[in-house]
Amino acid sequence: MISRYIERFSTRERVLHWFVTVTFFTLLLSGLGLYSRLFTGYFNLFGNGINAILVHKIAGVLFFVSSVLLFLDNRTRVTEFDEDDREWFRQGGGYLTREDSNLAVGKFNAGQKMFAVFIGLATLILGITGMFIWAPALFPRWIVQLSLMLHGLMFVGSIMFVVVHVYLATIGNPGTLEAMLWGRVSRAWAKHHHPKWYKEVTRENQ
Amino acid sequence: MTDTIKTENRKGFLVDTSRCIGCRSCQVACKQWNKLDADKTKNQGTFENPRDLTPALYNRIKFVEKADDKGEMSWRFLNERCMHCGDAGCMKVCPSPGALYRTKDGIVAYNRDKCISCKYCVSACPFNIPRYDQDEKVSKCHLCLDRIGGGMAPACAKACPTETLKFGSRSELIAKATAAKKTLYGVDDLNGLGVVYALEGPPEQYGLTANPSIPFSIFLWKDVIKPLGILGFWGSIGAMLLHYVTIGPKRIEEEHEEGKEAGHDQ
Ligand code: HEM
Repeated sequence: MISRYIERFSTRERVLHWFVTVTFFTLLLSGLGLYSRLFTGYFNLFGNGINAILVHKIAGVLFFVSSVLLFLDNRTRVTEFDEDDREWFRQGGGYLTREDSNLAVGKFNAGQKMFAVFIGLATLILGITGMFIWAPALFPRWIVQLSLMLHGLMFVGSIMFVVVHVYLATIGNPGTLEAMLWGRVSRAWAKHHHPKWYKEVTRENQ
Repeated sequence: MTDTIKTENRKGFLVDTSRCIGCRSCQVACKQWNKLDADKTKNQGTFENPRDLTPALYNRIKFVEKADDKGEMSWRFLNERCMHCGDAGCMKVCPSPGALYRTKDGIVAYNRDKCISCKYCVSACPFNIPRYDQDEKVSKCHLCLDRIGGGMAPACAKACPTETLKFGSRSELIAKATAAKKTLYGVDDLNGLGVVYALEGPPEQYGLTANPSIPFSIFLWKDVIKPLGILGFWGSIGAMLLHYVTIGPKRIEEEHEEGKEAGHDQ
């Protein structure tokens, strides 16, 4: 009897993804107090502001490395957009209606690709600007000023994207979270959400 | 912490550059009162020394050499220090409450113990004033808080032999200088500088920007991106919740032959 489930993410991919997630939320918590004095209270999670900055620097390096690796793992799949992706965007990914939309989707849909590319770019920009902010005395003032602005902007973009990502990966699409937890998804899920990818993997296995 | 400033209480300097003889008594007196170490400097072919503010140098005389039409050299002297801006970039960006704060006299003071070494103030200052010491703590002119609290003039003003540096009620000093038809710098910029200069030429000749303002990127960061970002965050959470209760999640109708226990109704 054939299994009801199919493999979606390898152990390496899953561990990497959750490592990125943990460092991301560590950065969020340690960075909030720096973002605005409205959030000074978040410094207490780390004892004080000095410790929060230290944690932010360490988590920043870890996030940068792991997020770049995660992007490189998927780099070909997420950077090539085809006609099916354009159709996906035209229909808002089918998320604007309750009806089934029968979109032709590969391993990742166009929205996921866009998210992955954005996070890849944001990681680069956050990392580079973070370096300038880390040691402002070593760089011209205008570079550090621009960096503070871009660092804030990329953070805002990332957190908004991540909110959408977490929604769609959990309650928005039941059955999806399993892919990242134990690596497998049901055939029905795969056929429904990623039909092109489903054909691709089932052909390989026969 | 909101930065509120009462104009009538503001104290400050009126620096009449026409009286300055470049003796640097202000530099020395400041070091003495604030117990700041000497900085080792090199002869760089100019009388200006040191050539920049340091963590142990809160104010200094800038020597600006200038040639007139006939090629005659002349000097302009400018006392450089924290301007105690009415709208202070450093205070705007400081994430640690109480590290940089405004006194009732309108002075921008700081508390080393509360400084968390982020160095944002260095980038946000329109005049490039704050420095960091060997403990990674902010340092700059605090207008001799400990002296003016006791009704004394700051050490630099006390030491100035030519009364270039006049300390007192900001509005009174400005009124007097205006009556004497001086060209003033810093009366209205950045909600009024705590250090107002009487200049003998355009500000650029003294190495001052004509219209000082908080750096544009810093303004974008703190006054545009920050509030919009908070809005955007809650907006995206709200949009997801709204999606869930209107259009709803994408449930899969399980096929019969697969998984008998499954099957959400659509
Ligand atoms: C609680 C937080 C998170 C949850 C529950 C979550 C869940 C998931 C799930 C289930 C998938 C697989 C989607 C699929 O099978 O198609 C996935 C993929 C992915 N996740 Fe997350 N994730 C979280 C946080 C993050 C964060 C913080 C980042 C990066 C900053 C991130 C980046 C990615 C990327 C790049 C992918 C690849 C597919 C794509 O581009 O959407 N995730 N996540």
